[in-house]
Amino acid sequence: MNKKLEAVLSKEPSRRVQYSITGAILLILLVASSPALGGANMTSKGFEIGWNILTGIFTPDTSLLFGLGDSGVAYLILQTIAIAFLGTLVGAVIAVPLSFISATNIVPRPVVLVTRFIIMAIRTVPSLVYGLMFIRVTGPGPFAGVMTLAIVSIGMISKLFIETIEDLDTGILESLDAFGSTLFQKIRYGILPQLGSDFISILVYRFDMNLREATILGLVGAGGIGAPMIFALSAYHWHQVGAILIGLFLLVFIVEILSDKLRQKILHG
Amino acid sequence: MIKFEHVSKTYPNGVKGLQDINLEIQDGEFIGIIGMSGAGKSTFIRTINRLNDITEGQLTVDGVEISGLKGKSLRQYRRKVGMIFQSYNLVPRISVIKNVLSSLVPDMPFIRVMFGLFSKEDKIKALEALDRVSMLDKAFVRTDQLSGGQQQRVSLARTLAQNPSVLLADEPVAALDPVTAHEVMDDFRRINEELGQTVLINIHHVDLALEYSKRIIGIRSGKIVYDGPVAGITKDMLDLIYSKDGADK
Amino acid sequence: MKLYDKLFDAEQFTLTNGKTVSQKFTRTPLIILFLLIGIAVSVWVTGFSLTMLVTNIAGFWHIFGSMFPPKLSYFLQVWRPLLMTIQMSFFGSFFGSLLALPFAVLAASNITNNRGINLVVRFILTVVRTIPTLVSALIATYIFGLGTFAGTVAIFLFSFSFVGKQLFEYIETVDMGAYEALTATGANAPRAFVTTVFPQILPTYLSTALFAFEGNVRYAAILGYVGAGGIGMILNEKIGWREFQSVGMILLSIFVAVVIIETVSQQLRKHLS
Ligand SMILES: Nc1ncnc2c1ncn2[C@@H]1O[C@H](COP(=O)(O)OP(=O)(O)O)[C@@H](O)[C@H]1O
Ligand SMILES: [Mg+2]
Repeated sequence: MNKKLEAVLSKEPSRRVQYSITGAILLILLVASSPALGGANMTSKGFEIGWNILTGIFTPDTSLLFGLGDSGVAYLILQTIAIAFLGTLVGAVIAVPLSFISATNIVPRPVVLVTRFIIMAIRTVPSLVYGLMFIRVTGPGPFAGVMTLAIVSIGMISKLFIETIEDLDTGILESLDAFGSTLFQKIRYGILPQLGSDFISILVYRFDMNLREATILGLVGAGGIGAPMIFALSAYHWHQVGAILIGLFLLVFIVEILSDKLRQKILHG
Repeated sequence: MIKFEHVSKTYPNGVKGLQDINLEIQDGEFIGIIGMSGAGKSTFIRTINRLNDITEGQLTVDGVEISGLKGKSLRQYRRKVGMIFQSYNLVPRISVIKNVLSSLVPDMPFIRVMFGLFSKEDKIKALEALDRVSMLDKAFVRTDQLSGGQQQRVSLARTLAQNPSVLLADEPVAALDPVTAHEVMDDFRRINEELGQTVLINIHHVDLALEYSKRIIGIRSGKIVYDGPVAGITKDMLDLIYSKDGADK
Repeated sequence: MKLYDKLFDAEQFTLTNGKTVSQKFTRTPLIILFLLIGIAVSVWVTGFSLTMLVTNIAGFWHIFGSMFPPKLSYFLQVWRPLLMTIQMSFFGSFFGSLLALPFAVLAASNITNNRGINLVVRFILTVVRTIPTLVSALIATYIFGLGTFAGTVAIFLFSFSFVGKQLFEYIETVDMGAYEALTATGANAPRAFVTTVFPQILPTYLSTALFAFEGNVRYAAILGYVGAGGIGMILNEKIGWREFQSVGMILLSIFVAVVIIETVSQQLRKHLS
């Protein structure tokens, strides 16, 4: 027994060797990655712009920040939330069936491999590419943003849904069987209530992420608070940039706190 | 009345779960089933409400041969025979009363089932079942906030709510500490005495079985090696039931 | 909620033995109402239209279809920007994670016993984390000029804030017994940290950094949109020129790269935990 232990121990290379190898690999990778520093071109103009943005944040354009019209920050925030909210819902509608046909306890292995490959592929395409594709469908604007987020969400939502489905407690179904439930009753009272709260908590989490995504969709003309920010930046309207950045920060920050609270409540009562 | 006549159960993989069981169980009995792990206790109890099918012999309940039951008639039969498992099998993130109400679902019309519309009578039925196991004050609490013992009581209440004439329980207290185990067993005893329901409980733990049952069935290797009053369980008998080679096939 | 409960009476149940219990009026209608309002407002604000989607979705499939088969020969132009994307991710993730360590220590209340410092550092981490990577990349291009450096800065900032937050939350759960014992014998705090706390947090730290790197590769692919370098530049260009077979090749390359990196990184992370 003791000998066996020693043999195992001697097989494990000493920590020092392990550390130095890891360190060396990291160093090599780092040197190999140094081209990432290319294109640094910090001129006095860049410094000035940086300073301008900073002052812009502290002296925001108040008419924009507190304006209630179509171009005010309040409306932009509402639009961004709406895009993220609908995007999450539409994404969920697509992800639910996809998750059920990707769970190992529901369909056979080969099917799972195929569907998971599809989910992975959907997940790899960057959101802005979807944005550009959907603009051909819906025209530019927030609708394209909704569809983009819907597709982008599918990957993560289904990944987490699948985990939940595979963790289903089948004992509950056995109990339902034992008191004479039909298949429909077992799904309605055995499976749905088990999945419900997890699914909702996943969607709340994804909504939080989608909100961040929604702030950048403006880049491809898919609505949200991102578009006016780019206009303001390129027009050097620093006070407007400041106002929008403040709005963006508050939005993401508050939604994160609320969604954390909500998920806590859903999962732990 | 439950009647086993030459009942055997061979699992598809060839394991003999039960071999030539013959016995009668009268209404209102309190029976403890003891035996080593793997002896066939679960198999025995599960055949009674057809979670397992028997492969030989006849099993009749109130004069009906139950292996002939299918679909709707089987589900109706199961309404009369409640079953409690070692795991509580409750949905954790919904309220206690919703868990209890789920056992009333098979008797409800489709639309009500679909939307979860329970009538006031149903809710009172569920609450009374909870009251029987002293869990009335927890009715609107989320189930995952309860302790193991409390959850097993809710599970018992869920079975009581369907108003079965027979209660089957497969190691209901195996996961509980001794004090809680006694409390739950007390509930079973009270239900048996007050409502007159037949109770069959698998208990791994002999002391509990002897304390609560009126009749003991000892199983070894799928065969009945003892069937009689508690008083008849001697040291030698226990040695026979629990002897090392008891689980041999 | 109080008002709601006053508005709608609780339901009373009387059992046959005379006991009564009451159940608050169900919240479900309220939740459904809020959801419906949310959906209605969102549909109105975004101009969502199912009919338009159904009638025009062919356009989406058309573009999708024209990506096939991907133009394999185009890979000769893809691999450099792809490599650059990975380099940006690695560089940014590495230094971001590195800087995150001291900040996490300062943010953790069990190591740094100064509420003021804790809060200031956490605030910095939160502000940085809140700004979307693409926005910081965009701003970085204004400050540092167009090119990969701007993208690296954006990735750096994200990794810093992400790893910093995860790490400080983890440090606060660490077992402090050994640390206290050592400081009690007179060892100075940094020394005690390195010998007792650091070994406990190291696996989580590395694993979080790897996780950030994984996500960054995926994310860095779009930084090119704002001129911050990497594969996003050519992606943007080819979409603009409607050379969809080339777009297909770019996406395929990203897919393969991401799968490889995620597999390796997940294996490493499994090893760490
Ligand atoms: N589904 C099954 N398939 C095959 N063999 C089974 C199955 N269930 C139980 N068995 C076997 O039947 C025997 C009796 O099991 P069981 O009734 O669960 O015993 P107990 O409940 O007394 O521990 C054991 O040998 C067990 O391995
Ligand atoms: Mg058993």
